[in-house]
Amino acid sequence: MSVDLDHTPRCLLVSDRSSFLHEKNRINSQVEQLNFNYKVSLLLPECGSTPSHLDSMLNNFSTFYLIRKLPIYELLDKRFLETAVYQGCVYGLSYRTRIDEDICVALMPNGHLCLSLDKDSFQVLGVEGKASRFSHRTKSRYVVSVDMTESSMVPGGRGYLRLLTGLKSRLPLKSDFLLSHHPGGGASLQALLSRYDWSEHKPEVSTHALTCLSCPTQLTSIPPNFDPHSFLEWLGAVDADISCENSSCSFLSSLACPEPKTMLSQALRVSVCGLLLPQDILRLIQEIRCYLDQPQLQSWVALTVHGFVDSPVSWGGREHGALRGGENFYTLLMGEDHTYHLHLVTGAHDTCPP
Amino acid sequence: MKPADQKDESPVYQRVVLKNASPYHYMKVCLVLENESTRLSAVELKQFIITGLKSLYGEVGAALNFDVLKYDADTLTAFLRVYSRGLVKLWSSLTLLGSYQNQACAFRVLQVSPFLLALTGNSRELQLD
Repeated sequence: MSVDLDHTPRCLLVSDRSSFLHEKNRINSQVEQLNFNYKVSLLLPECGSTPSHLDSMLNNFSTFYLIRKLPIYELLDKRFLETAVYQGCVYGLSYRTRIDEDICVALMPNGHLCLSLDKDSFQVLGVEGKASRFSHRTKSRYVVSVDMTESSMVPGGRGYLRLLTGLKSRLPLKSDFLLSHHPGGGASLQALLSRYDWSEHKPEVSTHALTCLSCPTQLTSIPPNFDPHSFLEWLGAVDADISCENSSCSFLSSLACPEPKTMLSQALRVSVCGLLLPQDILRLIQEIRCYLDQPQLQSWVALTVHGFVDSPVSWGGREHGALRGGENFYTLLMGEDHTYHLHLVTGAHDTCPP
Repeated sequence: MKPADQKDESPVYQRVVLKNASPYHYMKVCLVLENESTRLSAVELKQFIITGLKSLYGEVGAALNFDVLKYDADTLTAFLRVYSRGLVKLWSSLTLLGSYQNQACAFRVLQVSPFLLALTGNSRELQLD
């Protein structure tokens, strides 16, 4: 039996090209559907310091909370459901749990509670669920997805009591939990927070000034004069501080900037990390559009948003897994005339992005 | 310069879906040595990986082209780039590399992705303590 050593797991890259002014553009919907965002990276060419309105926007991302050792049945607490979940826009994700090893929990803004469990835990929990669509021959992973706004999940209802009993006595799950609420911050979460050890966190902003940066030319030209993989590789090299000034005969690395290229005298790389909400990212995109409306030396800005690797859900609440990387991110390259190129990337254990 | 009466093209919407089209894969690896104070340069690291490829896949395997994109000598962590068709060979060589200069060692593969950007946005690095 011969083994195909050339085979690699499936990955998808979806490239959209359109304009913010086009009636069919779905950029808002695409951004809103990725509920759990970990990192936002911004690359501003020919820029030495963050413009004031962008800086203010970046430093005003919603704060989030870390609750330590939260019993998961507390997410079914009647008061928490009424003050937060039923109002919409609660984002919750288990922290430091690995999607391929541990039990992961996500609470989505539409009131869906999603648990990703191994087989034994799923059988002990005793609640209706489905085998993961990504486990083929041996069903080792199961997903329980519950709509907390459904009539059967009203406190006291049959489905509600079954899940509550399962999480309280049969499978008493406890996990560190990240929680955020939009709008309104933590006021509606206070009752839950007050019962456990919690801390409030502000997304961490870091800025890095770059000099003499090789950059592909005409990034926003139509049609694009580069292929998306080369562009994403160059952007990854900039984000990781990897030099692109290598000759093809260099022993260590032959990574080079895609041609044709130009030299930027300076550029600014800004990143924000934490539990970031899609609403904040949409406001950031609007601010960047206003920034590009002003006369600029360079006519583009690149924004990259990374989803959580260990979230049980990705775009649109669809199942997400991590075979080798768990990547689910998108890069938005915005031009000065309201045009954009959007690249959405998912890995082997993801469905096609929206 | 276009004529004044020529209208601008109306914005278009175009979508292209590429499946398994990434020419490269990227790995974030860390070398763990028995003697933790041992240090290697980037060139020594690359030569060490080439010897691993040679011992498992012979001369043809050792000719597999890969790049050491970034290397941190303090933590012995490196970003590697390899053609997608060579990923399995490179990864298996790293797995089976067990000794460096008569001391036990192991490569820890921290992350693998067909996109270099994914290696810079790994949420498992989020530290809130």
